[in-house]
Amino acid sequence: MNHAVLRVNQPPSTKRRKSFAALATPYLYLLPALLTIAIWVYKPLLQTLELSFFDWNLLPTSPKVFVGWQNFSRIFELPEVHQALWNTLIYILGIIPMAVVLPLVVAILTEHIQGRARNIYRALVFVPMMMAPVVVAIIWRWLLNPVQGIAFEVFKTIQLEPINFLRDERWAIWTIVFITGWKLIGFSTLIFSAAIANVDRSYLEAARLDGATEWQITRRITLPLISPTVFFITMLTVLLGSQWSFAYINVLTQGGPRNATTNIYHLLYEFGFGSFAIGWSSAAAIVLFTGFGVLAFVGLKLMNKYAIYET
Amino acid sequence: MFPSSTKLEPANIKTSDTPSGFGGVGNIAGHVLLIALSVLALFPVYWMIVTSLRPANDIFSSSLIPTSASLENYRTVWSTIPIARMLLNTFTMSVLLTLSQLLTAILCAYAFARWTFFADKFLLGLFALTWLVPFQVTMIPNYVLISSFGWLDTMTAIVVPQFASAFAVMLLFQSLKAFPPELIDAARIDGANDWLILWRVIVPNLRASLASLAILLFISAWNEYFWPLLVTRNLENAVVQIGLQMFLTQEGDLWGPLMAAATFASLPILLLYVVLQKQIIESFMKSGIR
Repeated sequence: MNHAVLRVNQPPSTKRRKSFAALATPYLYLLPALLTIAIWVYKPLLQTLELSFFDWNLLPTSPKVFVGWQNFSRIFELPEVHQALWNTLIYILGIIPMAVVLPLVVAILTEHIQGRARNIYRALVFVPMMMAPVVVAIIWRWLLNPVQGIAFEVFKTIQLEPINFLRDERWAIWTIVFITGWKLIGFSTLIFSAAIANVDRSYLEAARLDGATEWQITRRITLPLISPTVFFITMLTVLLGSQWSFAYINVLTQGGPRNATTNIYHLLYEFGFGSFAIGWSSAAAIVLFTGFGVLAFVGLKLMNKYAIYET
Repeated sequence: MFPSSTKLEPANIKTSDTPSGFGGVGNIAGHVLLIALSVLALFPVYWMIVTSLRPANDIFSSSLIPTSASLENYRTVWSTIPIARMLLNTFTMSVLLTLSQLLTAILCAYAFARWTFFADKFLLGLFALTWLVPFQVTMIPNYVLISSFGWLDTMTAIVVPQFASAFAVMLLFQSLKAFPPELIDAARIDGANDWLILWRVIVPNLRASLASLAILLFISAWNEYFWPLLVTRNLENAVVQIGLQMFLTQEGDLWGPLMAAATFASLPILLLYVVLQKQIIESFMKSGIR
């Protein structure tokens, strides 16, 4: 990693022993940003690790009691933790069709649409990315409202039994998955389209001259060449998808009905600020952080191993 | 770190050669698909605005095109919650966050790109790895610290913990790495010191990257939810996203006013988008996601 291009042409005089001021300069520039992440990211991470071994209720006046590994063993016995872990998996896997598969298909099928029309579509499908999660949640709550929402008008028109999307245990989680995905479809589609547009046309021409069909070209040339981008978006979705659904869960269902929509992120929040079980929340946070790190590490390894880069 | 998505530039799309295989039919199918996707993306936003403009007796109408418009719902919102105050709070917070994150990132990225120093790789790694720490993991200690300072329910509580953004640091570092060293040498020969080189040479030349970064930071600050949710107590001090949620909890079924409030909350960003949509899309795509 040659990460310091700017310093290539340093004058030879820097070989002299540097003054203290010269040594301190880079750190002074770093300081504001470094202090911020040290105080608000890494220090609290260590404190959460510490709190995960204590029993505490967030009141400054009440004592923290050391309980060893008890929080960890306790949280794994709680049915809502099992439910939350299972739901987290549903969120992760459920968002992939909307954030990866569908956008990829759309991007491939629309690669020949160019010019003005393309720009207009780009501008339109990107709009959900601009909307704040709370606004998105409120709009969908209105659209899906069981009494007056437009979705129910549609059900009435096609004479189907209306579904109470956010209150029905079987549907609630998929509704949240859908809303989370809705915000991402346009973004992923544009990313894939851009990647496809960057594929060197001469490969496609050569294949065409050799008599390859469009499907063969897509399958053998385009898809492999955009695989790093596909990996990238998949990783992003797997690692962050469940996190992105937090706002929708909190605004729309608070984890209910009967924990059907809670995931690990929302459960942490519930433990911490709902029932003030700081030990449980911290222990679950540490488990989450570790799992997240392992997943990211494995993802990066896989990406480096299997993604095909144009040479 | 992710492959910093450097290859994702949407620009230079070569005007396509006449497509063989998929041909004309494929193009029609493509248009149909994209129209469907656009409708899916836009309809909820359209419905929010349409509902917000319906008079109370017409609120449950499902006609797609409104027959009469009224600002009644907006007046209701204006008189029941301090919406102007909340919008002002949000605007102040977003401007403060954008400026501070931009400034701290410029300084920090400059140090990493300009000098080799003890532990530089390690420190850069600390920035690159912050995304591995989900917000929910640090929330309790941060909340405790904020409340011990007595900052709960203030703007300070929202802004200070996000004074710098690791994302902005990494993104600017990418741009600074590619900065032509000749320009810096020329400035040094003219006698400029490090500080002047940064502000007179680098920053003016990076105007475009800085502007698109600023847009990204502003939008994500405006749409910020989790941290303000934790540290806000009263409507007067809330940013508009939290105000919306409180309004929803209190008046869950007043759909007209709710949609008007949601429109209030989205309008600034939507207007920004209408004006700068090309730049916004490109900066989002170049930087991955926020």
